[in-house]
Amino acid sequence: MAKAKRRDLARGNAIAGYMFILPFIIGFVLFLLIPLVSSLYMSFTEVDALGKQGFTYTWIGLKNYNEVFFINEKYVPNLLTQLKNMALFVPGILVFSFFMAVLLNQDFHGRTFVRAVYFLPVILSSGIMVGLETNNSLLSSMKDLIEADTSSVSITKTLESILLTGQSASKFFQYVIDLVNQVYDIAIASGIQIIIFLSGLQTISPSMYEAAKIEGCTAWESFWKITFPMISSMILVNMVYTIVDFCTKSNSDLMTLITNTLYMNFEYGLTAAMSWVYFVIIMGILGILSFILTRWVYYYD
Amino acid sequence: MKKIKAGRQPNRSLAGDIGVGIVLVLFGCFFAFPLVYVINSAFKPLDELFVFPPRLFVRNPTTKNISDMFLLMNKQGVITFTRYAFNSLLITVVGTAGHILIASMAAYVLAKYRFPGSLTFFKMVTVALMFTGYVLAIPNYLIMARLGWVNTYLALIIPAFASPMGLFLMKQFMESSIPDVLVEAAKIDGAREGRIFFTIVMPLVKPAILTLMIFSIQGLWNNVGTTYIYSEELKTLPFALRTLAAGGVARTGVSSASTLFMMILPVVCFILAQSNIVETMASSGIKE
Repeated sequence: MAKAKRRDLARGNAIAGYMFILPFIIGFVLFLLIPLVSSLYMSFTEVDALGKQGFTYTWIGLKNYNEVFFINEKYVPNLLTQLKNMALFVPGILVFSFFMAVLLNQDFHGRTFVRAVYFLPVILSSGIMVGLETNNSLLSSMKDLIEADTSSVSITKTLESILLTGQSASKFFQYVIDLVNQVYDIAIASGIQIIIFLSGLQTISPSMYEAAKIEGCTAWESFWKITFPMISSMILVNMVYTIVDFCTKSNSDLMTLITNTLYMNFEYGLTAAMSWVYFVIIMGILGILSFILTRWVYYYD
Repeated sequence: MKKIKAGRQPNRSLAGDIGVGIVLVLFGCFFAFPLVYVINSAFKPLDELFVFPPRLFVRNPTTKNISDMFLLMNKQGVITFTRYAFNSLLITVVGTAGHILIASMAAYVLAKYRFPGSLTFFKMVTVALMFTGYVLAIPNYLIMARLGWVNTYLALIIPAFASPMGLFLMKQFMESSIPDVLVEAAKIDGAREGRIFFTIVMPLVKPAILTLMIFSIQGLWNNVGTTYIYSEELKTLPFALRTLAAGGVARTGVSSASTLFMMILPVVCFILAQSNIVETMASSGIKE
């Protein structure tokens, strides 16, 4: 009797579990999975959207992919530039946002205000701003302003030439200098990441730090032994987010190429093929990185 | 602005505090720069907007841009400004609330239970994060057409519910911040799943919810939504403002004003959410 009742409870829980996840699954299948699969199918076809009976598909096999890799002169170079930029930016953004989040998590007056300031780029860089950019000189003049301000004096340029003439410049120096030159872009791109790290930092229970302090732990030690492991899952989240955000940003050359193919040339099949190649490559990179990182992420239980 | 607290911790040096302050101010300037520029542009008269090299600060501030914006908006047609604002607000509020609820429910199950297919499903969600949106536009439209949702609010609201980013964030967050022991204890005390979820899990992940809320508001508030919406009375505020701004060089002032206007809601939401996040997450509810 007791056993039967327990099984019922377990089954009830399982049903509750499925009820919890069902709405999401329906939405996911309907608005992401089905479109994804049909776009994969379309990448093997020639889509005629301007015909009389709506959309017509003609199967052309790998012709679109052939075009992507061997005929289109812009796709492969753009893809490589994009990947190179990603390798430069993503670690930079992660380190920067982690650093800023730790600073912003400290207790000081006006903290709310400062945090709000750090969130601004997220608001500014998305949606309406990007949309208005095409019609308005605001962003372009902003860029001119920045360039005009920085072209005359450049500490990094000088430093770079000193290091290069001193023969001590390795690839690493080059990397650091590239990062410093891009610091504005990095700062602007890390608003969301800072928030994710911040909310992660706030879930760490203060009693842990207290206990560590009583045991004689210094701040430096408790940073590496408490903060860092506790936040490691958020590092994974942020890495994924940063890569996705960076790769789907609409202002890169590659994305412009893809959008133009769609909206200017109406070559839907080709656009789908281009996107799928890009998608598979990013997925591969993310897969490898997540695989490495998950082994090292610490889950508190 | 950045006064250092008088009662400093004994192991924190003054030099360190000053260093932190300097770094914060320095990068804060970076972050604030675009905002300062937008605010200033919104108040610049037309001739000042085209000065080369561009100036950051406004010389002769004017509110003409803003009054022009409202004037043009109400002149444009039968649809008033408030109607556009209402459309955007409705989509934002309903979309955000639904997204948070549905994504956290799914995330809770994925984070705390193992069932057949749970890992595969989560992997699929993560993969879907990476796909570029443009290509999905046409298949998505076909689905909306089949559902009969074209030209309704539903076409903008419902897809927002199932956005994979929310599930991803919430799942990772719940996994790391809710101890299994807590859920088990609640179960032993006889709580049902619904109760565990609403009274234990949701309050504990409040920072994540607020983060997600900011995300979602941000995305939906800026939704132009012209792909699915044709009737003028259902169109969104960003669409209306963009149409205004597209009026040519003479509208540059108006478009700066509208950029400023669109920023108000996300910034206010962030500041409100921010002050709520602070210190609510003091403890994970468990004493070892």
